Amino acid sequence: MSQPSPFPEPDPEPTEAERYPTLTAAGRRMLDFLKEHPHAPLYRNQSGNHLTAAEVAQVRQFEEEVAAARLDWKPDAPPRWRDAFVARTYAEVPHYRKLGGAPARFTDIPPVSRADLSHDLTAFVPDSAPLERMINFRTSGTTGHPLLLPSQPVIAASYLAFHKRALRRFGVTLLAGSGEVGVVLLGMQKKCFTYVSVTPSQNEAGLVKMNLHPDDWRHPDDRALYLDSLKPEVFAGDPISFAELLTLPLNWRPRALLCTSMALLPGLRRCLEERFACPVLDLYSMNESGPIAVADPATGGHVLLQHGLYVEILNDQGEVLPPGERGEVTLTGGFNFCLPLLRYRTGDQAALDFSGPEPVLLGLSGRPPVRYRTADGSWINNIEITHALRPMALPQWTVHQARDGGVVLHHSGDSALDGPVRNILQALFGADHPLEVISTSFPEGKIIQYTTGLSDPAAHPAPAAAPSGRSSEPRIQSGPATR
Amino acid sequence: MHRLTAVPPDFLDEPRIGTRGTVRVDAVVADLIRHYGGVPEAGRLTVFTGQDPGRERNRLAIVLLLAWLTADEWFASHGVPVEALLSLLMEAPPELARQTASPAFLTDPDRREEITRLTLARLDFRPAGESPAQAQDRLTSLSATERARVIAAARAGELRARAIREALAKKAADESADKYTRE
Repeated sequence: MSQPSPFPEPDPEPTEAERYPTLTAAGRRMLDFLKEHPHAPLYRNQSGNHLTAAEVAQVRQFEEEVAAARLDWKPDAPPRWRDAFVARTYAEVPHYRKLGGAPARFTDIPPVSRADLSHDLTAFVPDSAPLERMINFRTSGTTGHPLLLPSQPVIAASYLAFHKRALRRFGVTLLAGSGEVGVVLLGMQKKCFTYVSVTPSQNEAGLVKMNLHPDDWRHPDDRALYLDSLKPEVFAGDPISFAELLTLPLNWRPRALLCTSMALLPGLRRCLEERFACPVLDLYSMNESGPIAVADPATGGHVLLQHGLYVEILNDQGEVLPPGERGEVTLTGGFNFCLPLLRYRTGDQAALDFSGPEPVLLGLSGRPPVRYRTADGSWINNIEITHALRPMALPQWTVHQARDGGVVLHHSGDSALDGPVRNILQALFGADHPLEVISTSFPEGKIIQYTTGLSDPAAHPAPAAAPSGRSSEPRIQSGPATR
Repeated sequence: MHRLTAVPPDFLDEPRIGTRGTVRVDAVVADLIRHYGGVPEAGRLTVFTGQDPGRERNRLAIVLLLAWLTADEWFASHGVPVEALLSLLMEAPPELARQTASPAFLTDPDRREEITRLTLARLDFRPAGESPAQAQDRLTSLSATERARVIAAARAGELRARAIREALAKKAADESADKYTRE
């Protein structure tokens, strides 16, 4: 007799009613348009908004709250919600409950890092977080700790409230609604999760997550034709997918570009702004917290976006640094009620500035994109390595490409994995590419996961010439930044 | 027990561990040893400093409560050997910290009684009017009740953790929900 599996079976494929609980005939038409378009790419996956009507109303109300919120806290006058948040977290979150009562002084709360979450994520999920509608977001693990983070559909949908707040700084109010495409999320990877959906809080404006890699298209020329046909209000992506977007003979001009995931270099930003004649928002965002800040050249830094997120800058010893001093960005609060953050060290560096009406992160250095040259001269990015290594049980790893092209991967997993890991890398880089896989232990502290000694030509991309005739103009010309 | 309802704020403040907290617990213990006529030895006090706030804060907070309790004149007038005192401060807090968060020794009457009886027992005293067997029975009963509560809570915690892991794992790898951007 067969034994029952100790592992939970994945949920059966959700039905369309589960993916789009409030779908109308107009929403249905949008999904069909996106999928059945003659130039559409191959959509490899399915997802949806999963929002009930009550949750859609909740999201809209949250958008109003975010739009009206003021971020007027200072180091000596923290936000009013902070103490109650600390008390609730110590009462409801197992990790903190185990520590005893909350310290009287906020700064006596021991900070946590991604390594703590990675060690036992369940200890950071509050007792009150409902499990029935829990979803997950997988992080790429740029600091060496890949994670499956808990969330809910309503939390995912709430991101838009902060995007709208960020866009308003640049004079853009999102208008896309029924029968229009709100956003196209762009990837540029050999393997990418792609799907179509609609956004109910935007009257079912279309949402597309696509891969610009030619392998996902019947013909590479279809990319520009399809995007021109969709006329999305916003493109979202990372510097690598935007660099690819620049090479396409696109006529359409979106109203804004939202750049996340990696540091956006000023040169690429300028190229994008000139090419698409719209604001390019460099968002500082992470799965643990959602959108944290948006770069605003008028402030010289990244302006904080969340009124429910308190930010400190800590030194290596965990001591709070005064405004102007550079250290580790550390977060408390957030809108993910499945993962309340309490002095969460992000691994990113910046200084806080309070000279304006809202707190600003100066000199933010996030996680720069790293690309690697393969044996045939093509380039892959670090996310592809992370994706390829997913099946491997590697707690932590680093990858470095030397100036001669040789690649070395150090990992803290079992040495028996050396062979399988090497095979994966060989498939990515090419059969003859010089590779080394070394199992090792990482000393205490942070690591820089992806590094290279090679010079990357994408750092100075040469954009394709803009086509001479525009098939259509942007619906509304974006105004200047508000500050 | 009454003394635990009037702990001065200094004894409730955050134990100093690394760069966090304010109260030097080793210094408090050194004062207590002097109070009982002993000479504190630095080497024996290192156990009252911590390295990891996450793991040692609760233990050191309980040391402070015991220090306040045993500084009572009643103990001083009945004579407490310094060695017994040190044993109490070194051995009892780790046991108690495993089961109980320090604030409960102030707010929960049963826990107040438990820590008081444990202190008396370890210093070879017992409450007035009780035989040794009665005192031991009551302490055992209090500890067993707490242990049972802790075991039940731990079991509930394990079930919850498993439910969270299953809820996360049950979702198809990337079948999540729409966001306008992806990190």
